[in-house]
Amino acid sequence: MKHTTRMMDIVQRSLDGPIKDEEDFNNKSISQGLARVVKEYDIQINKDQIVNMDDELADRVWEAAVDFLASSGVYCQSTGRVILHSREEIEEKLKHAPDNVWIGAGTDAVHEVYRKVEDPRRMLLMGSAIGTAIEEEYYIPSLISYVQEPEVDVTMAPTLEKIYGYDIRTRSPLEIMSSWREAELTLEAMRRAGRPGMAFTGLGTSISDVGQLSADGPGGLRNTDLHTFGIISELKTNFEILNKLTHILYRDGIVDPYANPIYGGLGGGMESQAVLITAAMIALNVVFMATCVGSSPTHPFNFNDTGKEVMIPSSLSFQALARNSHLLTNLTITAVGGPGTKTILYECVAFTVMNTVSGGSRILGPRTATGTVTGHFSGLEARFTGELLRAASKLNRGQAEEIVQKAYEKYEDDLNKQPYGKHFKDVYDLKTIQPTDEWLKMYDEVKNEVAGWGLSFD
Amino acid sequence: MTDQYVNLGEAIKKGDVETGVSESLLLVERGVKPIEIFSECIEPTLAVIGDQFSRLEIFLPEMINSAEVVKAIQNEFKPLMEADQETISKGKIVIATVSGDLHDIGKNIVKAMLEVNGFEVNDLGVDVETKTILKSARDADADIIALSALMIPSLPFVKDVIDFIEANEEARSRFKVMVGGGPVNREWADEAGADGYGDDAIEAVDVAYRLIDAPA
Repeated sequence: MKHTTRMMDIVQRSLDGPIKDEEDFNNKSISQGLARVVKEYDIQINKDQIVNMDDELADRVWEAAVDFLASSGVYCQSTGRVILHSREEIEEKLKHAPDNVWIGAGTDAVHEVYRKVEDPRRMLLMGSAIGTAIEEEYYIPSLISYVQEPEVDVTMAPTLEKIYGYDIRTRSPLEIMSSWREAELTLEAMRRAGRPGMAFTGLGTSISDVGQLSADGPGGLRNTDLHTFGIISELKTNFEILNKLTHILYRDGIVDPYANPIYGGLGGGMESQAVLITAAMIALNVVFMATCVGSSPTHPFNFNDTGKEVMIPSSLSFQALARNSHLLTNLTITAVGGPGTKTILYECVAFTVMNTVSGGSRILGPRTATGTVTGHFSGLEARFTGELLRAASKLNRGQAEEIVQKAYEKYEDDLNKQPYGKHFKDVYDLKTIQPTDEWLKMYDEVKNEVAGWGLSFD
Repeated sequence: MTDQYVNLGEAIKKGDVETGVSESLLLVERGVKPIEIFSECIEPTLAVIGDQFSRLEIFLPEMINSAEVVKAIQNEFKPLMEADQETISKGKIVIATVSGDLHDIGKNIVKAMLEVNGFEVNDLGVDVETKTILKSARDADADIIALSALMIPSLPFVKDVIDFIEANEEARSRFKVMVGGGPVNREWADEAGADGYGDDAIEAVDVAYRLIDAPA
């Protein structure tokens, strides 16, 4: 238990901080606060360029984000107060943030490290559908399709659609059963794939603190696994979230939370979105003591992050983080395309290349078909993402931008067409847990095509 | 829109409450009826704003600010319109994210879109229990209950609200239920017995118009 004192300090700030009406926090602290720093720090984005090339702009985004966070704080809904940290406190805490962590156990353990912009080291891959639902009967085979891939370093289980045929209900015994079931099935899938020590992120099926924490312990989520929780958009928390954090700290687990700002929401457009993503990642460490900090900024209508309007601020924000801190950062590929479409593969190319040269430590996904279509995911797109990570680590930002633009052209027109593809059972042979010839052929074609754009898969 | 409405339209677009209210009162002083101000200026302006947001040419903060101007004008006009037994509301909606779910941005976007399209929206917030939703709908004399859920384990609570309404004749005759959110789809909504389903905030407005039986 490394952080008892800090945890107590956070709880006290949530009890003693300035009282604020939540709507005021939304409109004044977040929306107006972002508008202020965007103006003061002259944040202006070239909206034709996806991969940021401007180091000075990235540094100004960082300064704006620290200024903004010191002013806004994080709102605690349970107390109606703001958890505030001064600029000096933020900077001091960031100095002590981890810059590397071992994830997993035994020979399956992997080392996540801080990466700079254009860092030649390969990012880690959390190969996973990131909580997309699936029927119980396909749970283990679908998960094996990911963890059997050598390119996949860590994983996260899909979400159970039902538990023993029954609907899962938050804060009920059904949620606790589903939490245990998720852990049991995930551990079983990893054993069957011969990677029992691989870390998984959990627990995705449960939302509530009681549901999530019930299977976080012996027989369930291990302290070598990634313990996740999401904060509430934008920059909000409550005691349920802080309960999860407290338990994780006592378990000595790896704290792996996320914040997903909504594009066009309270954070507004690309400029303020870049500042908000940066501030949220800082807050995850400063307030929530994260070992690793993550995001999947979301489009309000397409529910993805592979559109230009989300990739541009993501690239800028992650460069701001990589240039000014040593935080272990991750982004999730949340794509509109599903298995059995070329759309998903092109989305993986654009997002993975953008993220690799922008300095993240780990990439998550891809969460296909926006994560909202039951069973529409498969391990093949994770294999492709892993191969892309290796190839993209040899690029500089200029080369990356060319490839990202080419890939983007291929799927831009599909973004609002819901090309959700096929169910796992229709793109994989369930006996061999291998992709069908049709799906494999599509993957080969796209891989060969993008190799011609300058991505070396050797 | 005629020239007399230019300043008011601009004030709404800019989210300038003070100018919006003063311009509206000036128009009334000049003999324009509040109901005319709404139908000839405010509604067309809000339609443009909603359209701009649907193309993400403007963002939620701007849309909220515009809605705030209109709310302030509505408050000023209320006594005048009540005297004439006129209403500018397209209908009353109670909106909530159901029990166990803390996601609110999607709901807030839907709320703002409904407001700029002329609906009166009572936002109950997130993690709202079934009985609170039903009581609030009765208290607000709502026409529609709009429910949001972003996580699968929250879906049963959406169904609970629908079931409770189905089981109560008085509630069934009063409320329509529309649903949306990540794991909700048209098929689920139909099976659950919802009256309407919106895939996103734009469709939610169309659904609300349809349910309220107002022209789209």
